[in-house]
Amino acid sequence: MLKYLIIPLANDAVSFCHYERGNASDRLIDIDMLKKAIFWAMTENVNVQFVYPDKEMPSEYKPVIDTIDHAKIVSSHCEDKVLTDEADIVVFDGWNDLDAFKCQSGKSYVVRTDKSGLFDNADVFKSLFPKLDRLVVVITDIDKFQESDFQKYEALLNAMIPIIKEEYGKGHSLHFNLLTDRMFLDKMNNCNAGDETITLAPDGKFYICPAFYLDGSKAVGDMETGLDIKNRQLYRLDHAPICRKCDAWQCRRCVWLNRKTTLEVNTPSHEQCVVAHIERNASRRLLEEIRTLGEFLPENEIKEIDYLDPFEIIKQ
Amino acid sequence: MSFDIAKQSIDYILSNPELFNEPSVEFDFIGGEPLMEVKLIDRICDYLKSQMYKRNHKWFNSYRFCFATNGLLYSSKDVQEFINKNHTHLSIEITIDGTKAKHDLNRIYKDGRGSYEDVVKNIPLWLEQFPDCGTKVTISHADLPYVCESVMHLFSLGIKVVNINVVFEDVWVDGDDKIFETQLLNLADKIIDNNLYENCVCSFFVENIGKPMDQILDNGNWCGSGKMLSIDAAGNFYPCTRFAQYSLREKKCVIIGNCVDGIDSNKLRPFLTLDRTTQSPQKCIDCEVASGCAWCQGENYDAADTDTIYQRSTAICKMHKARVRANNYYWNKLFRKLELEGRREEYNATHKKQTEKPC
Ligand code: SF4
Ligand code: SF4
Repeated sequence: MLKYLIIPLANDAVSFCHYERGNASDRLIDIDMLKKAIFWAMTENVNVQFVYPDKEMPSEYKPVIDTIDHAKIVSSHCEDKVLTDEADIVVFDGWNDLDAFKCQSGKSYVVRTDKSGLFDNADVFKSLFPKLDRLVVVITDIDKFQESDFQKYEALLNAMIPIIKEEYGKGHSLHFNLLTDRMFLDKMNNCNAGDETITLAPDGKFYICPAFYLDGSKAVGDMETGLDIKNRQLYRLDHAPICRKCDAWQCRRCVWLNRKTTLEVNTPSHEQCVVAHIERNASRRLLEEIRTLGEFLPENEIKEIDYLDPFEIIKQ
Repeated sequence: MSFDIAKQSIDYILSNPELFNEPSVEFDFIGGEPLMEVKLIDRICDYLKSQMYKRNHKWFNSYRFCFATNGLLYSSKDVQEFINKNHTHLSIEITIDGTKAKHDLNRIYKDGRGSYEDVVKNIPLWLEQFPDCGTKVTISHADLPYVCESVMHLFSLGIKVVNINVVFEDVWVDGDDKIFETQLLNLADKIIDNNLYENCVCSFFVENIGKPMDQILDNGNWCGSGKMLSIDAAGNFYPCTRFAQYSLREKKCVIIGNCVDGIDSNKLRPFLTLDRTTQSPQKCIDCEVASGCAWCQGENYDAADTDTIYQRSTAICKMHKARVRANNYYWNKLFRKLELEGRREEYNATHKKQTEKPC
């Protein structure tokens, strides 16, 4: 069931996920289209998330945007500093400005990084964890991971465990997607683009997610004719033969990356699965560590497993 | 295909036994008409054999070279030499569409002459060399009125196994299922009344088709794409030749690697995890006569609303149902006859239960 509508307000609205943001052109969503989209969201009863470009939005858009309750996704580089302060999610492209940024409690911060940026900046995490409540790291080149990267990734997450444990020991229940999300979950919690989330792009058409708009994929409907997602079942977990057997519940299960790597939206790559299982297994160790401090999530067990890619169990 | 591309492909396949871990292998040479290139094929086969031997490969002595040919060059010197050299490892299927009139409708030379006579004169030699090999016939809309006479004609030529199926493409029009059913009922009568069932097999009649299927226990994929490797003349790899650009109508080809870089195993994952129910619409999951209702992954992809192999095309739905009705008639009639003659047990003991062979 559809729950969220993402509206990138311009072609170069910030990317908060695996895809690269669009070119810096001035293609703003047409204001009348925006009004229609907001009306549509109200009638369909879906939550709206506006994704902003770095350039300040023209003043006539602001009152329109405010006609609906919404979440704001904003870049750390946004010209409009008031907006950055008000944002629900602030996105950093890389690690450069993170140190100096004044994080606010209760807010989510997304860091987009490639694997080498991640491995080179492990220390930055340590300084960040005490400062914020929710950190989401998006690795932009998961599909390029190789065997040696898997090992580095595991080592990196292992190194984070004592630091996060320390935060929990201090009573700071920090959320860090790569390590803590899995501990709190009891079922899949994925991106769900195409199933629970849909995007209305600046061209006034619906797309599975902003990445599908930016890579030139076919639209899945428009404001006039409504949503028309062909083979919509393939975006659901029950039609994903590998994922439905999996318990790396924190995995983003990115349908766009799936299509890019395996040509099918319902089938993840080997790299995606192994990365998610390294996180899952590190979460298991973190959970055990936190429990040495006292009772913690007694209902939630993460089983020990002997595979990193559920494809292996299916093949057997 | 150049010899070099073939060689690189063979080297890749034989050097990666962990990717190809089946105990045996078939090398299928597909044309146009493969026997036009028998010299190249001979060279490729020699290379394969020598490499399997040198590498002490498990397939050495467990391989087969397969051909589907129009049969025109069958008795030529080059082809016969190739056959003599490789006989124990060969399967050759000559394709004849049926009667002369039927065959010459489609299978013609450049100048418009039909090719039937030239093929048929090679049949005795072929049957002498490969008495157990069958022929493969594909039925489309225009062929429907000739199904019965075509199969009977093939039996009369001495061909004992006729592997036959309707095309998966959406070519069927209203009433085709009725024509098809009538043809199959006639064929059933002819096979049974003339006792042809003793020695001949037409793959339309299979004892265990037309039953509901269990969602969990009977959930395998039908199509073998992804479990085979198809290589084009440029050395690109496909999950089956139906995914090459020349086989597709509008969709983009699905390349899963090439002879230089090898297989991109991520591209194989959707094929290897595909099951029946995930790709089927609800009507097929609930279908009372689902077993034996086949599909072709390539046609599914070609006909799908999006670029996916996960949308089953059901263009053959009513044709399968027609086949099931005729098939039920065939087995009821045959078993009753055998019972009345007191030969049912003898038949069961001497005839292997035919099962539907997945692609
Ligand atoms: S780890 Fe792999 S199988 Fe599990 S949810 Fe993620 S993509 Fe799907
Ligand atoms: S295509 Fe038709 S006959 Fe075949 S399984 Fe589906 S519903 Fe049954």
